[in-house]
Amino acid sequence: MSTVEAPRKRAPRKRSAEAWSWAFMRLSGLALVFLALVHFSITHIINDVVETDYDFVAERWNNPAWRLFDWLLLVLALGHGVNGLRWIVDDYVRRPGRRRAAMGLLYGLTAVLVVVGTLTILLFPARPR
Amino acid sequence: MSPASTRYKGKSGQWAFLGHRITGFLVFLFLLLHIVDVSLVRWPDTYDAVHRLYGNVLLRLFEVGLLLALLFHTFNGVRIVAVDVFPEAVRNQRRLLQAVVALTLLAGVPGGVVIMWPFIEGRIL
Repeated sequence: MSTVEAPRKRAPRKRSAEAWSWAFMRLSGLALVFLALVHFSITHIINDVVETDYDFVAERWNNPAWRLFDWLLLVLALGHGVNGLRWIVDDYVRRPGRRRAAMGLLYGLTAVLVVVGTLTILLFPARPR
Repeated sequence: MSPASTRYKGKSGQWAFLGHRITGFLVFLFLLLHIVDVSLVRWPDTYDAVHRLYGNVLLRLFEVGLLLALLFHTFNGVRIVAVDVFPEAVRNQRRLLQAVVALTLLAGVPGGVVIMWPFIEGRIL
């Protein structure tokens, strides 16, 4: 009589980087539905775009909660965008050298903008001029 | 260059894919510009001078385009997540994409009118 061998222990399942990237796109995307649409509504619909001048920013950034809101929007939008562009580069830039150059440019640009954006929000004086 | 490996003929799904890519790319480009223009807020007068440009008719049209791209990418993204969570929904994918387009226009057209309002009223050229 033949016996059925006990199943071997399954190899520990480790999530690949792509699986994390997939999950990040869903989660950041859902957060951005709220963050980006609220931001656009405030700056283009509730207020006219010309009203969102220096004084408008100064008044809003007197509230740390709005600074946090804007910083989350900055980081999640850039993260979501850079990962999307990585997929686009993967699909259309086929030559290894060009691909490295494109990704280098993309990551470099994004890193600079995260720093510039974060410093802009963080270093803005707490009281309007 | 259009590599055969990424070209697929999925009818409505193919258009949703293409629309998601193009709108995502455009919104990303605007984001780069927007981070730079907001960083000018350290120099109030420069910030205000650059910022006034956004009230110009051409840039208002551009903002309407941005709104439409943002809305399509948002609703289509929600559709993608919905299909991930409820795989059965893929049976109605054509109708789901129609809903995405309908919602984009339903929110985008009134929003576009609000953005263009100073022009419609004749207050700006």
